Amino acid sequence: MRTSFAAFWRRNLALANLGIVTNLEYRFNFIIDAFIQPILTVGIEVLLWLAIFKTAEHAQIGGFNRESYLAYAVWAPFLGRITISWMYESMMAEEVASGSINTILSRPISFFEYYLSQMIGYKLITTLFSMMVPVAVSIYFKLPIFYERLPITLLLVTYYLVLVHIMSFLVSILGFYLTRVRSFTILKNLTLMLLSGELVPIDLMPKSLEKLFLFLPFSSGVYIPLAYLSGRGDFELLKTGFFNVTWAIAVLGLFSIIFWKRGVRQYTGTGA
Amino acid sequence: MNNLLKYLSIYKAFFKASFAADIEYRLNFVFLIIAEFVWYSTQLILFEVLYRHTNVIGDWNLQQMRVFIFLALFVDSIYMILWDQNFLAFNDNVRKGTLDLLLMKPIDSMFMLSSQRISISHIPCFFITAAGCIWSLAQLPDFNWLKLLWLIFLVPAGLSVIFCGRFALNCTAILFTRADFLQYVWFSLFRLGLRPDAIYSGFLRIILIFVVPFAMVASIPARILLEPTQYWMIAWGIVLPFILVTLLKKYWRYCLSQYSSASS
Repeated sequence: MRTSFAAFWRRNLALANLGIVTNLEYRFNFIIDAFIQPILTVGIEVLLWLAIFKTAEHAQIGGFNRESYLAYAVWAPFLGRITISWMYESMMAEEVASGSINTILSRPISFFEYYLSQMIGYKLITTLFSMMVPVAVSIYFKLPIFYERLPITLLLVTYYLVLVHIMSFLVSILGFYLTRVRSFTILKNLTLMLLSGELVPIDLMPKSLEKLFLFLPFSSGVYIPLAYLSGRGDFELLKTGFFNVTWAIAVLGLFSIIFWKRGVRQYTGTGA
Repeated sequence: MNNLLKYLSIYKAFFKASFAADIEYRLNFVFLIIAEFVWYSTQLILFEVLYRHTNVIGDWNLQQMRVFIFLALFVDSIYMILWDQNFLAFNDNVRKGTLDLLLMKPIDSMFMLSSQRISISHIPCFFITAAGCIWSLAQLPDFNWLKLLWLIFLVPAGLSVIFCGRFALNCTAILFTRADFLQYVWFSLFRLGLRPDAIYSGFLRIILIFVVPFAMVASIPARILLEPTQYWMIAWGIVLPFILVTLLKKYWRYCLSQYSSASS
């Protein structure tokens, strides 16, 4: 058992390293990805909220003050970028669609694991660098951020990443049944952007929508971790986030297993 | 005139080929349309939710902001139909060397690179956002409908900003080997155009009107429709496309002079 765990650990560590090295290979690309884009996005969102409060009739909106919304505007794009999977989902879908998945199927590693470890490696390195932007802005503007809550918040985000990867896995599996699945990726990611609370804090939505969004697991990607981090929400909310992600992983994981087994059974690999 | 007819017939052929390619995978096509509606809805929902808690953002109330948003989405839908897919493929063309083949064709290289693929799945969005514009204007008391005529100049001006900006960024892919990052920069920059210029103040606003003129995408056209006419804005809207296209052509020629084929 110990030997098999050691092999599992070594294998996945190597893949995570691969994810890191691949993305650091083109440094200018990486700098833009990790710094420039977050700075631009945060800048635009902050300006929007400043304009809203400049003309607002009250010092508070929905029970929270300007600094609270600025904290949201600064951290939401950061969390949103961590918890979305464009690149690796596209790569997985392409592997299935083109048949190059054969090379992975013939290795002693699962397709799911192969990309999960790489994605975690990539997200780790991007998070480490791009987190400097919201942290620096929060310190400079004295935004209400509870830094001692950051580790458990990032733990929820990492846990949510597993769910994100399962969804990516499901979309790529569709390639066994359909010829083109690119539109599923676009539709899923845009929907998640709305449901996660990246666009606008969920507590500003009408009550019925707020309840629905908090019931769904996707709010654990941006809104719940950020609400806990900035003091908009308490530990109970964070626990709800962990619970929601758990049931979603169980349900979607089950679907993944079923669809994967059926897909592989009917798949004919003809790659040279 | 003959030249124009030649380009129109080529464009017609591109349209037919794109239509056939998009319709081939019907489920994918339907999901693409739904995805576009989701994207446009998110932009609307953002402001609808914000206006539940405030009456004015920048200079505009909800009715005025709806005009701005629908106008921004309308211009965006035209851009998406005509050019976006081509620009997405640009980096691959440079990296894989297929750019050589496109440059060899006996037609204008900029036309070839920007117009080969037409996104049919965005056509429904074009009609919906146009209807949204009309609807939002109809909500305004005493709107002078003749002002819509200014859009004949201002919508092309906004499109020229998007076209030239994206094309110029893509040209830069020729100078760097791998330039995926330019797409990221573009998506971030384009967000500037999806927000009303009133949220920017002072120097930044001037930059957005004159230097990186994303305000021309929807903010300035919306101001022309919603506020007393400022003729300098219209004049700027007429002059801007000529300046941008001239600069873009020069930059394109420079990038081509630096181009070393990847296919050899």
